[in-house]
Amino acid sequence: MFTANTARVIGRSVPVMEGAELDGARPDSDAAPDVASLLPMLRRIVFSRVGNEAAAEDLVQETLVKVLAAANRIEPGMLEPYAITTARHVIASMWRSQDTQRRNQHRVVGMDHVDAPDERLLKEEERAAVSAALEHLSEREQQTLLAHEVSGQDMRSLATELNTTAGAVAAQLNRTRARMRVEYLLALHDAEPPTDRCRPVLYAISGGDRRRQREVDAARHVLECELCAKLSEPLLERRPEGENEITIRIQHDADVVRARKSARELATRLDFSRTDLTLIATAVSEIARNIVRFAAKGQVYIELVDQPRPGIRIVARDSGPGIPDIDQALADGYSTYNGLGLGLPGARRLMDEFTLTSEINVGTTVTMTKWRTEG
Amino acid sequence: MDEGPGLVSILRQGDNLIASIHTALDDSEMVRFQRNLIEQIGRDRARGVIIDVAALDVLDSFGARTLRTLAEMARLRGAETVIVGIQPDVAFSMVALGLGTGTVHTALDLEEGLAYLGGTHSLPAPDGTEPHFRP
Ligand SMILES: [Zn+2]
Repeated sequence: MFTANTARVIGRSVPVMEGAELDGARPDSDAAPDVASLLPMLRRIVFSRVGNEAAAEDLVQETLVKVLAAANRIEPGMLEPYAITTARHVIASMWRSQDTQRRNQHRVVGMDHVDAPDERLLKEEERAAVSAALEHLSEREQQTLLAHEVSGQDMRSLATELNTTAGAVAAQLNRTRARMRVEYLLALHDAEPPTDRCRPVLYAISGGDRRRQREVDAARHVLECELCAKLSEPLLERRPEGENEITIRIQHDADVVRARKSARELATRLDFSRTDLTLIATAVSEIARNIVRFAAKGQVYIELVDQPRPGIRIVARDSGPGIPDIDQALADGYSTYNGLGLGLPGARRLMDEFTLTSEINVGTTVTMTKWRTEG
Repeated sequence: MDEGPGLVSILRQGDNLIASIHTALDDSEMVRFQRNLIEQIGRDRARGVIIDVAALDVLDSFGARTLRTLAEMARLRGAETVIVGIQPDVAFSMVALGLGTGTVHTALDLEEGLAYLGGTHSLPAPDGTEPHFRP
């Protein structure tokens, strides 16, 4: 599935890495590692696990593409551990898909029902993991969490009951949820952390608390600890969204409108001009429509950025068929559906920065940014 | 119309149809609007169509194309189309996108649109009072 196209795609993605986000823009962050410098390490990891050399090289490339696509969302210091967990994930999904093929052979011989007991078992495992995770919380934490999440009690009345402020309750709930996620994953994997540092590291990653992550040197620990590397992947993906970011799942026509409205709403907070707000909304409309038309399913992630200056960044991802010829897709007038080829080149013209990575049978990622002009 | 209340309204005014889009439409809603308007042009034997897009948040490649196609289909049925109410920032983004309305006539607002279509038709009375006539 990997051809020369992939290499070209990687070449095209490099500007993302040279972008402001990683280019020493955060004075307190570690030096940004060059993605290409991850290659030898990734090769070591993948080749030690996958015997077939061609297959292994494919997986290394697949990992690189994924890391590149995510690079601007990742704390510079976390890029290497992220690459490692991604490599593991890519290897695991290869094994899983081989396994799925094997299991689906039952379907061919008319044994559709064989999957059902598995699913039930999985649900029970998940329930057990939730109970186990709850046991790690203090009684007060349990009560607060359940009162809020299950009974729907609001922060203000909780605060009155606990004789504290709504803000303090919210902070406590966030910490509790972060710990819940970690304990849930530990229970689900039936794993006991091998070191004393594991829980603090995982809690910091789970809570998305960057200061705390530096304090406990989370990046280094994740590199050294097999378990934390494995668990940090779902935790990194589950990073809670703050006020300056939003993810919209894209599947239906109506989602396209939701995406562009969300983008406009977020951008409004940065005092973009009315014209810029419309340009941003229009660009989001174009790329979100591309997902509905060509990939059927995907998501649009929108975030406000402040380095090197205020702006809005949109990352649209899909798991569609991929784009075989990117140059052609970005060429004006390229005709795809009903002569509507303006989507991608149009969106590119409306934004200040635009990067597209695509991989056949894996998916396409569009990253685009608009900077606020200084008024 | 089967859009449900509120999304779009189509009013008959003499020989003209005045279609107002009241909110952002997604692609399916846009296509349904196109179909319904074309049907009504045939039914009412309309000679002119005004499409008021002032409430549209964006006019992207699909929206612009749908309107162009609509106007072309209306022309084949003997009706001329005027698009009114394109907001300045929407117009700017259409230009930036490399889009135009093609050969479709555009006008600033409803009044100018009606003037273009003949200048002798009455405007809809917004509150049910006396229709306002243009000279
Ligand atoms: Zn650990």
